[in-house]
Amino acid sequence: MGTPRNRRVKQAGEAPEPSGSSRRDFIKTAATVGAGAIVAAPAVASGFDFDLESFFQKNFRELSEEELDALVKRLSRKYSKKYGKDVSVSAIGPMDGVLYGYGLDISRCTGCRRCVHACVEENNQSRDPEIQWIRVLEFERSEALRGIDLKDGNPYYEHKEVPDEGKFYIPIACQHCEDSPCSKVCPTGATWREPDGIVVIDYDWCIGCRYCMAACPYGARHFNWAEPNVPAEDINPDMHVIGNVPRKRGVVEKCTFCIQRTRKGRYPACHEICPVGARKFGNLLDPESEIRYVMKHKRTFVLKAELETKPKFFYFWGTEGRS
Amino acid sequence: MPGAGNDPGKDRLPGNQATIWGTLGLAVVVIVGLSAVRLEHQPETTRDYPPRPLIADGPAVMKPAPEIDDEYLPCRDCHTSPDRQTGPIPRELEYEHEDTELAHGNLWCLHCHDPERPGRLRLADSSLVKFEDSWQLCTQCHAKKLPEWRAGVHGKQTGHWRGPKEYQTCVECHEPHAPPFGTIEPKPRPKRPDEIIQPARISGEEQHGDS
Ligand code: HEC
Ligand code: HEC
Ligand code: HEC
Ligand code: HEC
Repeated sequence: MGTPRNRRVKQAGEAPEPSGSSRRDFIKTAATVGAGAIVAAPAVASGFDFDLESFFQKNFRELSEEELDALVKRLSRKYSKKYGKDVSVSAIGPMDGVLYGYGLDISRCTGCRRCVHACVEENNQSRDPEIQWIRVLEFERSEALRGIDLKDGNPYYEHKEVPDEGKFYIPIACQHCEDSPCSKVCPTGATWREPDGIVVIDYDWCIGCRYCMAACPYGARHFNWAEPNVPAEDINPDMHVIGNVPRKRGVVEKCTFCIQRTRKGRYPACHEICPVGARKFGNLLDPESEIRYVMKHKRTFVLKAELETKPKFFYFWGTEGRS
Repeated sequence: MPGAGNDPGKDRLPGNQATIWGTLGLAVVVIVGLSAVRLEHQPETTRDYPPRPLIADGPAVMKPAPEIDDEYLPCRDCHTSPDRQTGPIPRELEYEHEDTELAHGNLWCLHCHDPERPGRLRLADSSLVKFEDSWQLCTQCHAKKLPEWRAGVHGKQTGHWRGPKEYQTCVECHEPHAPPFGTIEPKPRPKRPDEIIQPARISGEEQHGDS
């Protein structure tokens, strides 16, 4: 099973056709050159405890209510047993009249990375190997006037105390684009945008081709190169099927706006932890929401606006004229 | 990298291994077939969810101000003597509170504390409020922050974006005597790519290498 996986990785280097009709060509290629490779991916992905049931699972979007219910129950049982605690997996859907938006106040962010680690814990990200959905980039203040180029940002900064003199910070995770390039290139329909604006991944359908990672302009998607590992005592038992359920080797994952929390009305974990209150979250369709207040009273911008991906993650300067 | 074509052990497969490889081959063919079906099949662009009404919004309450644990409490223990020094002109405190470093614009204690009852805060209209209602004092001078704070934009709300929420009062983040938020210790940085140990090679590869 090892070699096919490596061959598959090589295949992924070939760029996908941008047009929507590429799927068929993709299948043809898959069937001839790399058939074994690509196709074996779901099996490889699940590592050594290959789960037949999840391999035959229909795509999340096509499950009937009854099937979804059965799936949720099966997964709750499976993970309760596996982790020895009361795991509750939900498939709670979007609320009517809700479109999520996130705001981040760059003038406040201190780069303390508490959001990064709260996110890891909430969303059952692999501890070793390490997967982190949020990256906090450090930039020189003096450079800011010339415009921010994300590739100048340093995520590996180390200081005793932050913010460091003359620096500012931009945390980046999935921008939940309305015109999401990632979902367009997915050959299996394993990633899509939900009616409330959350871009999600069906981990059972992800074949690990990583086209979406190449397509994402924000580097927000992360690949499980090895079997992810979260100690049972650290597992967050409040799970969502297309959110923080445990992943397996060979699948891609990313921020879901904490779908397991936000669809129940709660704030995302990163929002709750931020010590300076730099993170704002809410319903873009509700004029009374804090995110709409930000949109109305602050100057907001999105990253790489020129790509017209229409992110639902906005950055703003809460304070003008004060350094 | 070992390719499938140059498998050195190929010609020397004993009988039972051949059966194993044959079975595996068959399994691959089955999986290929099934997965081709999967690839060819295009799911809807989104799930057809049953309607789910917006849940009710909840009250916004203020998180109680952090408790003060101060050797000086209660203030009235000392501040009752009629001959103690006081006055609106800033002076160096020598006898008590010499540790209270005041670095807030160029304010003096009595801009905020009542001279008679320093355990109460004095608003511009001379009314007195308790420490736990200090936000009323702060927002008198920092009026622009009031609507932002109420909207959850300055400072922070926790709990629910839709449902009950709690918001933090000013002194949770700002020490009134020296209000800048200051610096804090960061959490550990992510691993650099060169620090990540390569995932263990998988058994298939090792077999190739060994034979
Ligand atoms: C142990 C006795 C003691 C306690 C308890 C005490 N104070 Fe004082 N306080 C003093 C003395 C003595 C001064 C005058 C110091 C000086 O002039 O050097 C003073 C001065 C002050 C002043 C400057 C006021 C002025 O009129 O010039 C303020 C404000 C003040 N105290 C606030 C408080 C508050 C608030 C508390 C309760 C949290 C408190 N104090 C508790 C002894 C005390
Ligand atoms: C900007 C308004 C302001 C000024 C100026 C001010 N205080 Fe305070 N002080 C407060 C507030 C508000 C609290 C309550 C803090 C809380 O609730 O955590 C307080 C609390 C205190 C306390 C008790 C607890 C603590 O935080 O130490 C003492 C003692 C005190 N002040 C002394 C002084 C003295 C002495 C001065 C002048 C040197 C002074 N204050 C100037 C607003 C002020
Ligand atoms: C009597 C008026 C007054 C009151 C009451 C007051 N402040 Fe201030 N505050 C000021 C002034 C003046 C400055 C200095 C502004 C400047 O430097 O530009 C200031 C500055 C600040 C700053 C910015 C500090 C910096 O250096 O960046 C913060 C934060 C702040 N105040 C918070 C508070 C809080 C919290 C309270 C309530 C406990 C409060 N203030 C009460 C007048 C006030
Ligand atoms: C969740 C924490 C938090 C709360 C609650 C909070 N602030 Fe702030 N505030 C900050 C941070 C962070 C800054 C930015 C920089 C600093 O103070 O070092 C700031 C800055 C300020 C400033 C300086 C001007 C500016 O915008 O940078 C003022 C004035 C201020 N706050 C007043 C208030 C008042 C008044 C309240 C209560 C109504 C309040 N703050 C509540 C975190 C908070």
